[in-house]
Amino acid sequence: MQRRNFIKQLAAVSAAASLSGGAIAASRTQRRFLRPPGALPETDFTAVCIGCGQCGEICPNRCIRYFGMENGLTSLATPYIIPREKGCILCMKCGQVCPSGAIQPIERSVEALTSKVSMGRAVVDRHLCLSWQGKTCGVCYRACPLQDLAIRVQRLEQPIIMDACIGCGLCERSCIQMPQAIRILPDQERTLT
Amino acid sequence: MKKPFFLWRHLNKLRWLTLILVFGMLVLLPFLHVYQTYIAAHAYDLLTPDEKALYDTMEHLTAPFVSDPETQLDAIKGTTWSGTFGKLQLSDPLAVLGQMAASLSAYWPFLLTALIPVVATLLFGRFFCGWICPATLIYELNSSLSALLHKLGIQTGIRRFDRRLKYLVLALGIVISAITGSVIFAAIYPPAILGREIYYAIALSGFGAGMVFFIITLLFDLLVSRRGFCRYLCPGGALYSLLGHFRLFRIQRIVENCNDCAKCSAVCEFGLDPLHDQFGQECNNCTACIAVCPVDAMTFVVRPSDTPPQGPGHQGKRYRREHVASNEGDMT
Repeated sequence: MQRRNFIKQLAAVSAAASLSGGAIAASRTQRRFLRPPGALPETDFTAVCIGCGQCGEICPNRCIRYFGMENGLTSLATPYIIPREKGCILCMKCGQVCPSGAIQPIERSVEALTSKVSMGRAVVDRHLCLSWQGKTCGVCYRACPLQDLAIRVQRLEQPIIMDACIGCGLCERSCIQMPQAIRILPDQERTLT
Repeated sequence: MKKPFFLWRHLNKLRWLTLILVFGMLVLLPFLHVYQTYIAAHAYDLLTPDEKALYDTMEHLTAPFVSDPETQLDAIKGTTWSGTFGKLQLSDPLAVLGQMAASLSAYWPFLLTALIPVVATLLFGRFFCGWICPATLIYELNSSLSALLHKLGIQTGIRRFDRRLKYLVLALGIVISAITGSVIFAAIYPPAILGREIYYAIALSGFGAGMVFFIITLLFDLLVSRRGFCRYLCPGGALYSLLGHFRLFRIQRIVENCNDCAKCSAVCEFGLDPLHDQFGQECNNCTACIAVCPVDAMTFVVRPSDTPPQGPGHQGKRYRREHVASNEGDMT
């Protein structure tokens, strides 16, 4: 009798598990998000991140948030950054504290940042950008932590993005246009060299 | 008559203290983090009155311990799922197992963070469940509520299932982690959920999806099966039970003192049967049975396996009827 009960309960749990397995393949959010600096490529990241929340807890800028179910079960409790709301100030503390290796520790120097961090890349919409539309602004350039490496301005403060841009999002955060004229395109294939 | 070491019966109080302490830290750390971000922003004058109150409170709390809170408070971070204490990082063995299954590889620095918990589990068995797990505090209070309902005549949470179910949950969790490539245990493991949800509630926008799951487990425990999640479903409990099978420190009944009152079996949160020497690998050394025993018949021993069933307690009616009475009869 006890064995029969066990088999019954076993069947119930298996059914529940297979149902939840189906739910895992839920649709992804359309929201544009960044992973913290030093994060592994996206598929590796969700496999390695354990969702302990220490990266957000050490972030002095409080820019790291966590997914609930809106990006599928595989992203549950993983960290993300919405650059328009708060950009990353590249303090690199999250990589130091991450125990799981999902965010790799990277030294806070210009060389290390430009060669190893790849959160995304900024793109300027010249139809929205004030400087490209006959006024002068230059706020994005002043917000950039890697001025003249990641972004430069020509005369009349017209911004031009360069290859060293690592996608921290401070320019998008600072853009005074509404909607913003400069956006970070996330690097889903980001690699660590 | 053998007497157990007198401090053992007070361990249960110490256990409640550690549970409250761990839970208190989980509540305090997010506040400290928010305080740190206020310092980092250098904008005390721009804070709202509420935020200023938080700032001042945290300043009072931490001032005796740190001189530079912005950086020094970074020393303590995280939850019981994975935490940082200065240079030392500790992780839940289940997190390591889940990551290995999800990524199909092993990351050595992370494996090392689970070393101390694994060794401690090998020595003390499933002690995490009784002594540290932040969810246990809530679950035990929930269990007390259930006992209160019983007193009021409402019979809830009396179903029993097979304890081996949780090993199946553990195995399925490993398989699903490997298939989906994500650490699925983080979604269904109450201490991990509770740790991060407390942080979300205090420092971010509020409780998230995990809290719904946790409340469902609470209702399951209250209405269906007392401590049901821990007993029958928790994958972490399953892992620690397996690791703790040959634990060195375990509770043993002193049969000479025992009077068969069965309070120990009634109080056991995990539904074990100390009265019949049935501790097994799932005992979490919570010492509730030691604390409740009226005749000092429970003690700690150092041995890698339980004693085989010792029969009725020598102070019990049955034993005295069968042995003592007849002996006295022979004497006269």
